[in-house]
Amino acid sequence: MSCGQESGHHNMCTVEHRALEKHLDVSKKVLEVSPPEESLSPAEGQRRMTLLQQDSELAKLHKQFVFGGILTEAEFWATRKKLLDGDNNRSSKQRMGFKSAMISDIKPLADGRTNKVTFNLTPEIIHQIFAEKPAVHQAFLKYVPNKMSEIDFWTKYCRAEYLHSTKNAVAAAVEAAEDEELAVFLKQDDILASEARRKMRKVDPTLDIEADEGDDYTHLPDHGISRDGIKEVAESQSLYDQYKRNLLQDLNRHAAVVLEGRSIDVELGNTKTVAEALARSKQEELANEASDANSNKERLTRISRMTEIDDLQAFPEPPIAPLCIKDPRDYFYSQQANALRTLGETATGAKPVNYHTTTREAYSCIRESISDIKSEGIHHSVVKPGIASKVLNSLTHNISSTKYNLGRSNRETVLDRLPSMTKEQLLSHWTSIQELLKHFWSSYPITTPYLSTKVNKLKNAMANVYGKLQGIKESVQSDLRHQVSLLVQPMVQSLGGAL
Amino acid sequence: MKFQIEDVTVYFPYDHIYPEQYAYMVELKRALDAKGHCLLEMPTGTGKTIALLSLITSYALSKPSNPIKLIYCTRTVHEMEKTLAELKVLHEYQVRHLGPAARILAVGLSSRKNLCINPSVVAAENRDSVDAACRKLTASWVRALAMENPNIPTCPFFENYEKAGSEAILPPGVYTLQDLRVFGKEKGWCPYFLARHMVQFANVVVYSYQYLLDPKVAGIISKEMQKESVVVFDEAHNIDNVCIEALSVSVRRQTLEGATRNISRMSQEIERFKATDAGKLRAEYNRLVEGLAQRGSLPIGDTWLSNPALPEDILKEAVPGNIRRAEHFLSVLRRLVQYLKSRLQTENFEKESPVSFVASVNAQAGLDQKTLRFCYDRLHSLMLTLEITDTDEFLHIQTICDFATLVGTYARGFSIIIEPFDERMPHIPDPILQLSCHDASLAIRPVFERFQTVVITSGTLSPIDLYPRLLNFNPVISRSFTMSLTRDCICPMVLTRGSDQLPVSTKYDMRSDPGVARNYGRLLLEMVSVVPDGIVCFFVSYSYMDAIVNTWNETGILKDIMQHKLVFIETQDVVETTLALDNYRRACDCGRGAVFFSVARGKVAEGIDFDRHYGRLVIMFGVPFQYTLSKILLARLEYLRDNFQIKEGDFLTFDALRQAAQCVGRVIRSKADYGMMIFADKRYSRHDKRSKLPGWILSHLRDAHLNLSTDMALYIAREFLRKMAQPYDKTGASGKRTLLSQEDIEKMSNGSADDVQF
Repeated sequence: MSCGQESGHHNMCTVEHRALEKHLDVSKKVLEVSPPEESLSPAEGQRRMTLLQQDSELAKLHKQFVFGGILTEAEFWATRKKLLDGDNNRSSKQRMGFKSAMISDIKPLADGRTNKVTFNLTPEIIHQIFAEKPAVHQAFLKYVPNKMSEIDFWTKYCRAEYLHSTKNAVAAAVEAAEDEELAVFLKQDDILASEARRKMRKVDPTLDIEADEGDDYTHLPDHGISRDGIKEVAESQSLYDQYKRNLLQDLNRHAAVVLEGRSIDVELGNTKTVAEALARSKQEELANEASDANSNKERLTRISRMTEIDDLQAFPEPPIAPLCIKDPRDYFYSQQANALRTLGETATGAKPVNYHTTTREAYSCIRESISDIKSEGIHHSVVKPGIASKVLNSLTHNISSTKYNLGRSNRETVLDRLPSMTKEQLLSHWTSIQELLKHFWSSYPITTPYLSTKVNKLKNAMANVYGKLQGIKESVQSDLRHQVSLLVQPMVQSLGGAL
Repeated sequence: MKFQIEDVTVYFPYDHIYPEQYAYMVELKRALDAKGHCLLEMPTGTGKTIALLSLITSYALSKPSNPIKLIYCTRTVHEMEKTLAELKVLHEYQVRHLGPAARILAVGLSSRKNLCINPSVVAAENRDSVDAACRKLTASWVRALAMENPNIPTCPFFENYEKAGSEAILPPGVYTLQDLRVFGKEKGWCPYFLARHMVQFANVVVYSYQYLLDPKVAGIISKEMQKESVVVFDEAHNIDNVCIEALSVSVRRQTLEGATRNISRMSQEIERFKATDAGKLRAEYNRLVEGLAQRGSLPIGDTWLSNPALPEDILKEAVPGNIRRAEHFLSVLRRLVQYLKSRLQTENFEKESPVSFVASVNAQAGLDQKTLRFCYDRLHSLMLTLEITDTDEFLHIQTICDFATLVGTYARGFSIIIEPFDERMPHIPDPILQLSCHDASLAIRPVFERFQTVVITSGTLSPIDLYPRLLNFNPVISRSFTMSLTRDCICPMVLTRGSDQLPVSTKYDMRSDPGVARNYGRLLLEMVSVVPDGIVCFFVSYSYMDAIVNTWNETGILKDIMQHKLVFIETQDVVETTLALDNYRRACDCGRGAVFFSVARGKVAEGIDFDRHYGRLVIMFGVPFQYTLSKILLARLEYLRDNFQIKEGDFLTFDALRQAAQCVGRVIRSKADYGMMIFADKRYSRHDKRSKLPGWILSHLRDAHLNLSTDMALYIAREFLRKMAQPYDKTGASGKRTLLSQEDIEKMSNGSADDVQF
């Protein structure tokens, strides 16, 4: 499916999206001069297209370089493989599970007038039948199309379903005796039984009821009490038992399949491919199981976790999310409060405060001071005005300085003060320089003529940007010029290095 | 945490302890001190098992001069695994705090089926064929032959184990069945025989009830347990049923046919031996003349199921002369089988006492009581002599001999019931002759007599005064604990009618009413749309569940239910049920939620927990009464009335309600957990039924919740779930403390421990 990238060196690039069509002539030209071309699957093109739509900055770069003829389409994307891959995962369409409800559509519909019943099978239902009834699945692989056509197969299946719906085990047995293939659908599913045995090995031992039976010597055959009104009447064992359908079993099987989810990822249209894909996925599952040695250990740890009584012990530490500061400003603003607090503490001095007052004491203390103030008013100010204003100043200074010194990195503050026009230009130049340099340095050592033309092109573009940067520097107002030149400096330096 | 209870330092592996756990330990300690038996009811979800284990192991540690052994009996193998997992946690904690001195050996013991690691043996389908396959490789005569002829297969694990001799021991630690298998594989030793051997030396043994209660098994496994042992029966609310089942046998037509085949096979063997190896038969005869059928101990690989009668009731004397010769014994068996066949041909129900049955056997088949009594021993001896290894083929004749031995041994407490067909399916002839035990005290008496302390405990032992009568013992301590709750985390309700105000019940005359099935269906449908995660439903019987699920399927209710949650169902097939449970758990784990349909008195109700998100609601559809027309039940009721003065109605209600309580109790595991319980039957609103529920449920059953319809229950459920979703203070700040720390315990024991009332 994703043959686009790996099978690299092929002829034409067949990008087909509207945005590119505008510049089609340009890209054609580009393609002519660039030897390593790639064939692009429509899906791949679509993916790039959506990426460009989602990210305006990327679109800008793309427009600037690819349509500007500096980079080819392939070169541009070559440095962004990760983006494409990541996108690949995200965009793979969500797998739909099976429906929770049992297949009820398969109930026969009688039209009332004739003696005919109709069954409706959709690809969805067929897939579900395959998943829930491995015997039918196997029979399909075996019989279709060598022995019978698909239509015949499903007709036969529906006949079996009809027989089941009449709940006449004897009739089913008679029909099965006559028709070997029909018998497959009517009998109990042997594959399910063997699958069950396989799954039993992985079952949590604290749920394993079968182990009990293996330990129960009281109920040796004919020992214990058999007919005391507690135990159920055993269904009479008869010849036709295997033709009886058990709703309870079907319900369990259905729920298990729904829980497992869909294991294949193919279009449901073609029954044959669905059947084959299902068979493959089952084989894989088997292979995985064989290699799955430490599942046992996992099971044991799960049990020991289950046995612990959670509220008798301290809660386990919640899982810690790593600190990730997206915007440092938020962090520093919140730090301000802390800074203030420390300041406050130093201001009150290192006097040890006795926190161990009882409520009674605290209350009486407050009452005293309130009554003091009531009777005398505030005669003695708590602090002298001079000191107070000093403290206030230092406090506010602290706030403003944290704001400007810590709160924002230099560049940003400067950028904020620049006219928005200049700011945007600077930023876009910065990204384009990065893009150019990335390509530039990745072309070294220059071994092929193709690379040398590429480098030349890049050099030209860089020179171009270089000039523009100078232009910006001159265009800004004088008070900001110093700041701007500081900003431009690293860019110019890196360009200089390349040139 | 660690704390003192009187002179014992208790090591408890958690930071906190529930007050009722503490009180439980105090009571238990008193029983241990008094060397007497006790009966303790404690609600599920209060950490009963860990409290028990913790106190008893600490008690043993504090008295190193005379350490007591703990024999912990569980109902099921999965409970055994759970118990051992808890013990592991505890043991790690004790070793961490006490150092190597705290090391103990704890083993779980099960059958070969669950322990065997020889792939060719364990591949056999069921327990009996695994046992037989093992004997084919490990019996002493097979091994003797293999010495001469290397082509005869033996079991490498068993051979290695034998070769290691006294070296073959388990180092201290806690071994689950899985651990035993792993250890066995590592060393190349047979885990089954190793575990059986280590049972004598282990400090803690965990196995299932029947290893003590069923003489057939106990005779082999638990013969040599020391008197200074504490026996614990956990989840013991059904212990009376286990006891009577252990001594009951039934005979069907198939049994008799199989037995006839067995007899002819044995007579062929005898002919063969006469021709080739007559010495063996003669040696057996001589041994029987000299005295007992078996003397001394058999090689470990030769042991088979033991005598079905209780050890003290087995006659310790020579086998009577008329069955000493192998041919004579076979002819005795033939006559017995013939007689039983003739009895099975009856058209009517018959009930007889063992005494009159033995008399008529004597009159018609010429077999006296003593001959009958020795049947088991004689058969066992013969099978050993004939070197029969495929024991699974000989279960039929074994059944007949068990029957004969029991009927010859016990004159009272039993009755013989012959039914030509099952009461519930009169059109299908299925004659059966049952020797059914009515007296639960018979099987458990040796246990009470042998061991110094027997602890019977469960979440449901109400009414607690009934059990000493049923089991005929005098507990030194008998107490029922209630639950101290931090918040009202259980919400029992009685639902008597559907939204349409029609009453719901599984009473016999209403059971097939479509209105009831519909109302039950609507109830579940409404609940699945409101309750998150797992919901468990219990029905009164498999047949009822089957019928109602089919009805729901036809009316489309089931489809609507499945729109909300996946449905998993317990069936009579254990493999399927186990897988359904596993899938149910996974469905709950992934957040999708699911509904599990199960049966009261079924395997799932017996011991599977639906705690936390595995069960937020449990619905008990109907009252799980026994089938009251069952002849065996009637005979038992009559016996109980005559001998223990227990009224029929009382016993039936008691039995139904203990099952119901057991079912709904499965949703709570700790006080942080929460769950709702709906008793959906109008009969629960009656006082005489309801009052039989255990106290911890009753105390949360509000008067307003006694007569609800579906819509009211739905409203309550919504409110309850909303309330439970709020954060709360774990320690129970408002007045009563529901979580004690080490300091609290210390403070308490400084004062008087008795002033903690629950």
